[in-house]
Amino acid sequence: MVRFFIIFIVLLAGLFGLELTPWAQAWVVEPWTRTLASIATGIVTMFDADVVASGKVIRSAANGFAVSIEAGCNGVEATLVLLAAILAYPAPSRYKFLGLGIGVVAVQALNIVRVISLFYLGQWNFKVFEWAHLYVWQALIMLDVLIVWLVWVRRVPVVDGDDLLHPPPPPALAAG
Amino acid sequence: MTSLSRFVLIALAWLPVTFVVWYVAAPVLLWPVRMLAVGVASAALGDLVRSVTADGATLTFLTSLKPGRTDTAGIVSVDVNMLLYAFGLPLFAALTLAAGGRRARTMLIGYVALIPFMTWGVLADFMKNIAITSSPLIASQAGFSALQREMIAFAYQFGSLILPAVAPAVAWVLTHRRFLEQLRASSR
Repeated sequence: MVRFFIIFIVLLAGLFGLELTPWAQAWVVEPWTRTLASIATGIVTMFDADVVASGKVIRSAANGFAVSIEAGCNGVEATLVLLAAILAYPAPSRYKFLGLGIGVVAVQALNIVRVISLFYLGQWNFKVFEWAHLYVWQALIMLDVLIVWLVWVRRVPVVDGDDLLHPPPPPALAAG
Repeated sequence: MTSLSRFVLIALAWLPVTFVVWYVAAPVLLWPVRMLAVGVASAALGDLVRSVTADGATLTFLTSLKPGRTDTAGIVSVDVNMLLYAFGLPLFAALTLAAGGRRARTMLIGYVALIPFMTWGVLADFMKNIAITSSPLIASQAGFSALQREMIAFAYQFGSLILPAVAPAVAWVLTHRRFLEQLRASSR
C-alpha cells in the first residue's frame, strides 16, 4: 500500500509539474482545450445553433454570454490523477493500457457534460454557475475518476505487491 | 445492480445533502483550517502578516505591505475563500456515508486528515496573491526571489487544482480498504 501511494504521489507531482511547463502547455494543454471547446460546441449546436467556439471560448451569439475553458476545467488534471493511479497500481501492462484508454474517455466525456452544463447554468443564474463551477463539478469529476479507477481495479488480476485492496491479515491470524 | 453501482448511487444521493451541510456549517468546519493558517502565517510569515480575520468562510490577511510608494497610510489585505480548498469535505462525507461501517469515526479521521491540505491551499493562495498577482510594487516589497516565486506558483497550482480533489479521494481509499476489498471480491 505504501509503495502504491508513494508511486502515485511522485507520478502525480511529476506529471503535474510537466503539465505546467511552457512546452506541455503549448503542445498538449492548449490544443486539447481548444479541441474540447470545439467538441462541446459541436454537441451544443445540435440543439442550439446560436453557439460558436473561438479558441477555448464558447459563446452564445444570441445573448453574448461566453465561457472560457481554463486550467482545472479542461479535464487535464483529472486525467493526470487517473493516469497516476492506474500506472501506480500493480497490474499487467495490457490492463493498464486498456484502463487508461477507456478511463480517459470516461473522464473527458463527463468533462464535456460539465462544460456544456456550466455554459447554460451561467446564462440562467450566475450564482448557481459559480457554485457548480467552483465546488460541485470539481467534486463530481473527482468522483468520476475514483469510480473509473474502482471499476478498473475490480477487473485487473491480483499480482504480487497488490496489498492495497488485499491488506495483510491481522497479527493474530498471521501468527496462526 | 452491482455493489459498486449501488455504492455510486448512494454516494450521489448523499452528495447534495453533504454539500448543503458543508456550506451552512463552513465557518465552524473550517475553524481549524483558519487556526492552522494563522499559526503557520505567524510562524513563517510573521514579518508579512499582521493579522488574519475571518468573515464566514473568507479569511482576510492584513499584511505589512504598502499599496503604493507614497501612500504610507494604507496596507495591503488579501481575501481568501476557504471553500475553494474544502469542497473535498462533502465528497469524502458522501463516499463515507455510502460505504457504511463506522461512519462517524471515519468521517472524523478524514476531516482531521484533510485539514493540512486545505490549509496548504489557503496559504498558497495568499502567497500567490502577494508574490505573483499583485502589482510589481507590492510584490517587490514582499522580497521573494525568482525561485521562491516559482515555488509559490507551483504550490498554488498544486494546492488548488490537485490537492482539494485528490486528498479526499486518497483519504477515503485509505480509510476503506476493507470495503474496497469487498467491492472487488463481489465482482469475481
